[in-house]
Amino acid sequence: MSINVTGKLEKKGFGLGTWALVTPGGETYELKDPPSELCQAQGTVKVEGQIRDDVMTLAMIGPVLEVKSFQLID
Amino acid sequence: MKKFLLLCLFVLGLGFALFNFKGLADQGEFNSIVLDFLEDVPTTEISEQLKALEDKYGTTASLNSIYSVEDRVYVLEGDKELLKVLAKSPLRQNTEYIEPNYIYQALEIPNDPRYTEQWNLRSVNVELAWEETKGAGITVAVIDTGVSRVPDLKQTEFVKGYDFVNDKSDASDDNGHGTHVAGTIAQSTNNGYGVAGIAYEAKIMPLKVLSGSGGGTISDIADAIRFAADNGADVINMSLGGGGESKLMGEAIDYAYEKGVVIIAAAGNSNQNSASYPARYPRVISVSAVDSAGNKAPYSNYGAGVDISAPGGSEGGKILQNTIDPATGQSVFAEFQGTSMAAPHVAGVAALVKAAGITEPEQILKVLKESSRKVQEDPLNYYGAGHLDAASAVKLALKGQITFKDFFRWLRDNGYLSPRFWIDGGAVMLPAKLLMVLGSYLLAFLLRNYFPFSWSWSLNNGLIWGSSGLFFLQGLYIFDLPQWPFRLLGSSVAELGNAVQGYTALNPLFASVLIPFLLIILLSGHSTWKWFAVGTTVGVAACLLVNAVISPEVWGLGNVAIARSFLFTNALLCFGLAYLASKGENKLA
Repeated sequence: MSINVTGKLEKKGFGLGTWALVTPGGETYELKDPPSELCQAQGTVKVEGQIRDDVMTLAMIGPVLEVKSFQLID
Repeated sequence: MKKFLLLCLFVLGLGFALFNFKGLADQGEFNSIVLDFLEDVPTTEISEQLKALEDKYGTTASLNSIYSVEDRVYVLEGDKELLKVLAKSPLRQNTEYIEPNYIYQALEIPNDPRYTEQWNLRSVNVELAWEETKGAGITVAVIDTGVSRVPDLKQTEFVKGYDFVNDKSDASDDNGHGTHVAGTIAQSTNNGYGVAGIAYEAKIMPLKVLSGSGGGTISDIADAIRFAADNGADVINMSLGGGGESKLMGEAIDYAYEKGVVIIAAAGNSNQNSASYPARYPRVISVSAVDSAGNKAPYSNYGAGVDISAPGGSEGGKILQNTIDPATGQSVFAEFQGTSMAAPHVAGVAALVKAAGITEPEQILKVLKESSRKVQEDPLNYYGAGHLDAASAVKLALKGQITFKDFFRWLRDNGYLSPRFWIDGGAVMLPAKLLMVLGSYLLAFLLRNYFPFSWSWSLNNGLIWGSSGLFFLQGLYIFDLPQWPFRLLGSSVAELGNAVQGYTALNPLFASVLIPFLLIILLSGHSTWKWFAVGTTVGVAACLLVNAVISPEVWGLGNVAIARSFLFTNALLCFGLAYLASKGENKLA
């Protein structure tokens, strides 16, 4: 089941760094294998993806969101 | 006259024992006092004052060394009492300070040049733990991104691992995280290179379940847990988390736990109330992270499920270990932060605790929790049981066990390892005497487990005097001198009544609870001498026990069985007396 999450990209400093999508409400999603264009996005983005409950990570910053597609909002 | 002679010899013997004592190495012990005179006080005045000191207290002060002439640093023999008196005396006005001349003990400080940057290892108090164990014989499975053999892991032993991501036996790291974690657990230490690790004599089992990008599936992790349990891992470290509850994972954890494996996981980095999976499983030790000041790290999860806290670092100070740079594959020293870094501190200490002899996972968690430094105000459970403390954990683990190191230290401190002891000791009944010494040690150890007193010179000397005396002297013969004074000095309390005459049968007045009883009554009011009395009582108990078994001969009690029961009863009474005398006394002896 896909979900849509809107927020800004942030690099969190665990290990060598992990890409996160932080919503205006402060929820943090860990992005699984985000495409490099997404990581360069400066403003707000809307990501369509799937929450991977079967995945654990070294960053442990929040639910793991596997990116299917994304669009820049501003 | 005879009584007077006995008294003189007793005092002489005691003096001899004190003079021979070498083991005042306990922290905070001193037997001399430093006087640093002000530089504007004329030398003649110093001499006068020192002379006055000598006249009044009978102790001579001398320059510490030829290099202390300019600084005017003098040292004189003295104890706490004298220090108190001096501190209040007029001497104070002419000195910069009067202070105890503490005896220093070398700690286990490794020679790794960047050890100084590892605030985290000092904050878990690992140096004192290393005096007892470095984790030899324990295997720690690192379930992570793999572990690469970087230069500062060269001397660390590895056992067979597995790469569950790529299904191959080589579990090298392509991220840098797992190698860093393994470094905190068992970085090669005292190798003159890089940094140190906590249980550096433990073996590492590298298990790769996270890909180069830092994620992995629950099924791979569950497989890795079972692999570790089946291949002899003692401890599992999982610096990873996320996802939901999984039956597969839960069963793998139960499987490993039931095989006696201690499982440790990071609480998670989302600064939320409750640990993430797998730390959340009840049989997993969940570790939250603190910064270099011991406060909760800003990212660390807290609250439900957190068992204990350990250094994870923050922007103000991170955790330094040797790892790889994934871009080049080359060795780097990198500073990371996270509960990922906190968990391996606990895994390393769990390895030390297991190496110290605690085997059950439940007991290991209990030791870790009980030995942790409690945080007074922690309403949100940031820290679980408290801050991890390696030295206290190992000490607690060793309580109730007689270790070789412990006994060796005791032997050394009491001069039993000097060659003279062995050469001269050969002339007397060595096996029986050794049994008495061993017995007194064992009995005192038993007592210590009920009352956490520390070994002190008074207790030690009491133990020796009560159990065996300075028995090597019994075999000493010097031309033209009578031998009986040596026999007397070489006798324990129980043998004093028959030593002068040279009889073998014990005098029932001496070989009984009588003298220990009187000693305890006389000395119980004194904080130091009380322990001499307790030591003597335990020593006599050991001596009587050994005699009861080996040669139950007592004057006036012709029958062996009667003599034996007399000695047994008195030995029991002595032990009971020592027990009562040390009861309720929890402070240092």
